[in-house]
Amino acid sequence: MSDSELDFDADELVMLRQLFCAEAKDSLEQVTARVLATGSGKPTGETLTEMMRVTHTLKGAAGTVGLHGVVDISHRLESVIAGIAKGSVSWVDSSADQLVEVTDGLLAYIDQAGAGVAGADVTAVKLRGQIDQIARGNRRRESLPIPVIESPPETVLEPAPHDTPVPEPKALLRVEPERIDDLMSAAGELLFDRTRIERRVQLLRTLARDLARTRQSLHDALDVEGPPSKATLSMAEGELAGQAALLSQTTASLLDEIEALRRTIGELQKGLTRIRMESAKNLFLHAARTLRALRRATGVHVELRTIGEETEFDKAVAEQLLDPITQLLRNAVAHGVEPEEERIARGKSSVATITIRARQDGNLLVLELADDGRGIDTVALRDKLVATGRWTPTRAQLANDDEILDALLGTGVSIRGDADELAGRGIGVGLVRETVARLGGEVKVSSQMGRGTTFSLRLPLSTALAQAMLFKIGGQVYAIPNVHVVDSTLVDAFATTTTVRHEQLPVLRLDQLLGHATADERRAGIVVSFAGKRLVCTVDKIIGPREIIIKPLGPLLAPLTLYAGATISGSGKVQLILDPAQLVRRAHPDAPEGRVVDPVSAPMILAGRALVVDDSRAIREAMTSMLGREGWIVDVAEDGARALQMTKQLRYDLVVTDLEMPNVDGFDLIVRLRKEDRYRSTPVIIITSRANPEHRARAKELNVRALVAKPITRRKLLEALATKAPQRDDA
Amino acid sequence: MGELRNVIVFTAAGGRYALELRWVREVVSLGFVTGVPTAPTALCGVCNLHGTILPVLDVAALLDQTPGPPARQGDGALVLETEGIVCALRVDQVDHVATLPEGPGGLVDASGRALKLLDPAQLVRRAQEILVAAGTAAEPTEAPRE
Repeated sequence: MSDSELDFDADELVMLRQLFCAEAKDSLEQVTARVLATGSGKPTGETLTEMMRVTHTLKGAAGTVGLHGVVDISHRLESVIAGIAKGSVSWVDSSADQLVEVTDGLLAYIDQAGAGVAGADVTAVKLRGQIDQIARGNRRRESLPIPVIESPPETVLEPAPHDTPVPEPKALLRVEPERIDDLMSAAGELLFDRTRIERRVQLLRTLARDLARTRQSLHDALDVEGPPSKATLSMAEGELAGQAALLSQTTASLLDEIEALRRTIGELQKGLTRIRMESAKNLFLHAARTLRALRRATGVHVELRTIGEETEFDKAVAEQLLDPITQLLRNAVAHGVEPEEERIARGKSSVATITIRARQDGNLLVLELADDGRGIDTVALRDKLVATGRWTPTRAQLANDDEILDALLGTGVSIRGDADELAGRGIGVGLVRETVARLGGEVKVSSQMGRGTTFSLRLPLSTALAQAMLFKIGGQVYAIPNVHVVDSTLVDAFATTTTVRHEQLPVLRLDQLLGHATADERRAGIVVSFAGKRLVCTVDKIIGPREIIIKPLGPLLAPLTLYAGATISGSGKVQLILDPAQLVRRAHPDAPEGRVVDPVSAPMILAGRALVVDDSRAIREAMTSMLGREGWIVDVAEDGARALQMTKQLRYDLVVTDLEMPNVDGFDLIVRLRKEDRYRSTPVIIITSRANPEHRARAKELNVRALVAKPITRRKLLEALATKAPQRDDA
Repeated sequence: MGELRNVIVFTAAGGRYALELRWVREVVSLGFVTGVPTAPTALCGVCNLHGTILPVLDVAALLDQTPGPPARQGDGALVLETEGIVCALRVDQVDHVATLPEGPGGLVDASGRALKLLDPAQLVRRAQEILVAAGTAAEPTEAPRE
């Protein structure tokens, strides 16, 4: 059967298969967990029934999404398990290992088949072989070194069901709905926070306008011959007092609102972290599997004990820990555990035990991996450190055991004399430390001669992982969040601008900004974009994009606004993250955020309260939105008569009016306004579809700032706002 | 005789100082110290302490004296926690921990020499002032609008 016979279209099918893969993964992990929990003994009837149920469900679901190869394998697996339950298939020591191998292989196969990968057929053949072997009752234990799917051998294969090539499935995250609900409500709260803060900012803008007006009245008073009148001054003083009070009140509220915003962001972060949490179970499963493979490869008898399966931590952390755990297990098997005879001679159990324990300690995850082997010979290690020239004899002599053990975590020192295939000569342990350091954690080793070695990893339960562009300046590594990095380029020596993709961009000499001499040669440049503005930052060397963990710089360093935070490198060094907003401000110092550079170099009218008069609702809405974006509080009137009413109630800082309107038309309105004291010099802008010379003359007479021809664009409006007031040179 | 104080006695940038033990969270040997460009000399740099970013300060610069040499990996430092801020003071050498009487002119050590008793809260406040001033100075100037 081909995909075309299925009930779904291609997109649906992709989605369904993704869901199926996630589900299958869960089910099979359950099977694996059950087998691993039983050790090498035969599982109970109950366990076997459960395993059959899981494989049966899998079979049904695979059929629905058209993965017939999976149906076949699941069916065979189910039959074998049924056989084991009934006793018709005998259970031998290696059966557990084989079952785990099959479930692992089936998992890989489902992934491959779901994605339509070519090698899937080979995997299927291999799986069938493995299942048959269990079914035949395991006459001989297969001596496979490592249970990995090998590259396709040159076998002629039966034509397998051909799945249409489907796009690469993305990894799916399965989350409890309540966790999403929490996030949604936090996101909603975020909108409220934004609205509150925006309102405050508008108020501050109005206040700035009021202050400018007060200043202007003081300025005018000073212009008058002789001492200014007391009345004028006291009025100005009164205004200032009011404004000061409003200002301090507004800043206080703004601080409250920012605090609320901080809380909401905290909630969001917490929610997101919870979505990403998973229990230590998966990590333990991985450890059990790794140890199984190691046991088979080395023949060392070792059991795994796990404690703290319910400990929850970030999936990202868990993923990063897979390799360190593998490394530490290899290390324990290769170096820690003594040969059986030696263990018996020492009075220990012949089977060694490795214990992995996970627990939460405050905000930290503590993961301990302990073996009950021979322990680390610090005397030998000391000699080794000296022999390899890493330490001076004096230093080695003075160091205590802890320091000696700590040196083990540095790269290049081996515990055992001979280079060992398995554990990679101590270098592996160094990598463990690097990975853990990158996650912001620490590794400690403790050891008792003859009793065993314990590695403890302490690291944050969750991490704020981000993509960043790393580069070097003056020998130091810096980072910029990758979302703001759009391109890279080359910049000529001493160039102050450069063209990137037909766009002329300012060049910011980062080396100069960071206190280094500027080299007089072509430099690598990173194109940074923030809030719609772009610039090119010159750097010594681009290292490339990396996944980093963002750490706050803390309250003391908060005033250094150039830095947005820091990250810790694999070797434990702090690397600073530059704030793209600050870089943009430095490259565009004369263009404050969100404003167009005004074309006639006149001061723009500061935002305040504006009245828009037009009989077209569309125009009113459009103007409200455009002015609103510039920080104006906008009222509207549909004709001149209504506008006159409104101007009597409130004082407007700007009037924008159409000319042709019912009742009182535009010019009538302006004439009447100009007769009133408070509107004598208020900026007025006319918007019109017909601007003839007669209109222009009349407008000039009435001290109108500008005539703007419809259709109105933001650009035209901003130009009009920036037009000089005709009667005065200084606004 | 004045009040007895449990202090840690150390030298830094040529001066001899004492700090009450209750403020000292840890005595550490610094990891790699990353320089922070544009920061004032009072900030020697930042380093990684147990996975968090630790600012390293120069005592002398905070007391408006000639600052010591740049901080390097392996230098000693006292980790202080006060006013909700954790930071490190770079030291040349930690002499000893002692219980010393406070005389009229400050602390006097066993050999009768006077010691300057540092007030960590004041040091941190001074550091904040210096950093705020530096932060403001480093801001790009906006074009005047009026």
